[in-house]
Amino acid sequence: MVSLSRVLSVSYPAKPSVPCKTFSSSSRLVQKPRLNSKWRSMATEPDSSSFAPSVDSDSSADKVTAGFCIIEGPETVQDFANMELQEIQDNIRSRRNKIFLQMEEVRRLRIQQRIKSAELGILKEEQENELPNFPSFIPFLPPLTSANLKVYYATCYSLIAGIILFGGLIAPTLELKLGLGGTSYADFISSMHLPMQLSEVDPIVASFSGGAVGVISALMVVEINNVKQQEHKRCKYCLGTGYLACARCSNTGSIVLIEPVSTVHGGDQPLSTPKTERCSNCSGSGKVMCPTCLCTGMAMASEHDPRIDPFD
Amino acid sequence: MSVNLAHTQQTRVSESLRSKVPLVSTMAATSSAGEIAISSEEKVYNVVLKQAALVNRRLTPPATKDLHRMKPDGAAVPGNLSLLKEAYDRCGEICAEYAKTFYLATLLMTPERRRAIWAIYVWCRRTDELVDGPNAPHITPTALDRWEARLEGLFRGSPFDMLDAALSDTVKKFPVDIQPFKDMIEGMRMDLRKSRYKNFDELYLYCYYVAGTVGLMSVPVMGIAPESLATTESVYNAALALGIANQLTNILRDVGEDAQRGRIYLPQDELAQAGLSDEDIFCGKVTDKWRNFMKEQIKRARMLFDEAEQGVKELNASSRWPVWASLLLYRQILDEIEANDFNNFTKRAYVSKAKKLIALPVAYARSLAGPT
Repeated sequence: MVSLSRVLSVSYPAKPSVPCKTFSSSSRLVQKPRLNSKWRSMATEPDSSSFAPSVDSDSSADKVTAGFCIIEGPETVQDFANMELQEIQDNIRSRRNKIFLQMEEVRRLRIQQRIKSAELGILKEEQENELPNFPSFIPFLPPLTSANLKVYYATCYSLIAGIILFGGLIAPTLELKLGLGGTSYADFISSMHLPMQLSEVDPIVASFSGGAVGVISALMVVEINNVKQQEHKRCKYCLGTGYLACARCSNTGSIVLIEPVSTVHGGDQPLSTPKTERCSNCSGSGKVMCPTCLCTGMAMASEHDPRIDPFD
Repeated sequence: MSVNLAHTQQTRVSESLRSKVPLVSTMAATSSAGEIAISSEEKVYNVVLKQAALVNRRLTPPATKDLHRMKPDGAAVPGNLSLLKEAYDRCGEICAEYAKTFYLATLLMTPERRRAIWAIYVWCRRTDELVDGPNAPHITPTALDRWEARLEGLFRGSPFDMLDAALSDTVKKFPVDIQPFKDMIEGMRMDLRKSRYKNFDELYLYCYYVAGTVGLMSVPVMGIAPESLATTESVYNAALALGIANQLTNILRDVGEDAQRGRIYLPQDELAQAGLSDEDIFCGKVTDKWRNFMKEQIKRARMLFDEAEQGVKELNASSRWPVWASLLLYRQILDEIEANDFNNFTKRAYVSKAKKLIALPVAYARSLAGPT
């Protein structure tokens, strides 16, 4: 099938498919016969990099999409400027439809791929649909899977039990003194020449404070690690915003028009406020697409990411 | 600085140009019977000559031409300066994120040079990501043409986004020419088509496009020492050699990784001579044939590093330390490949933090030696 070869020629990164919540317009689901005609028509477009020209929308749009290019230039936001509002809405609707159908195609192709690989005995390196590894939030610990989660629990409980035993039974029995050089807390206070009242802290208060300090610092470590991981997924060029400031209007959205004013003859008249016009680079939004993440704000744009809107 | 450079260097270069140019044309004529086949090395050398000549011809600092230039339909709006500062800071963050060692080397430079190098780095990286990054399947020749149009715009003083604006400001302040940037885009076009290189000549051209150009871009930023007696093009040649040596080192380090993507950046004829084929590389087994082949490749890369060392002495005093540091650090990667028993299929040769730290004072010591 020609459409299959076109689809296969595009190599998308193999990531686990995230259920898409954006396609609530599933009420627009198309019946089978029309599906086939859509696939056949998609086969006619030139190469893998341009978007498929829409079939049931206006033919005037076809000329525009044939020259579509993913890198923005100064005049590109005007690509669809000649359309009327209704045309634009129809175009959006038909493209959304197409994306939905193509995602379904990809899903079915993946099923076939899995079947054929299994037949040929090719081992797939990543079992994408199995529960994935969660990298541990705590540094230096191995990644979590549902298998070693049990080991994690066991280790955790035994450590807690051991420490309770140690603190409650073993330490008082052995008269263990954990201060520097085998001193007790009272010795430590007197060696620091502080009032002896301070050494009479209640054991319950002492253990509560110690435990609280431990828990709070552990939580801090986990949070910091979490932030680092999230940042790691962010596009570094636009810092997750999906957009870079437009250089033409310096992020303001409008360009000031200059009218040279002669000071020789009309020198007495006050200057009129300068006229501004909308910046053509960014269409007034003040920012342009980040070509690295394609407005998704993520370190790697995939077909699942919603694109960030400049006017939000 | 660039004005001094122009005046002192101009007379010397014109003499050496006159002596060198006939040499190049005889090399071209005798390279093969009948047709005048110019090797890549000669093509690249011509580019170097042109760059050197352009730098010397620039008697006026380029800043005065463009600084107060009115854009045809509008003007700069207040707020430009803070945006520019933010843009440079962003370039620094990106450099720190993706090239940590290189970032550390840039910290050894003066602040203006550091910012300029960051801006150049970010442009080069964005260009490289177009064909190498996650969006590579969507990049067409049209996309690269548009990218080139944006480059020309920023050289004219009309940058498109804030990161382009940082580079635009850099090329106003330093005598950087557009040609190496265009050549880099050409290298990206080449990468879209090619995944095999027949001989070293083709590989040399590719290395020039993607890495030699970076050397040429950074010489105007680093600056040649006023007391240097070397010709401008010898310094450019040394920078070129450093870039190509860096790229060859990259290639030799990443053989396994590139093979996984179906690319082999080693000359096919030399592989055949060593009795190796593409299958051996995809197979990923280290044999004695592979070890001998790698030894030869590493030897060639080391020769280029030696050639580059000759030119570092001629740079501005404040630029020598970072350049020496990056040279020594990158050179160590070749040692690491040897230490890995030439297994660049599964092991990634990297220089430990300790070795990196030791390289810094060594580089400082070598940077004290000035122009001969």
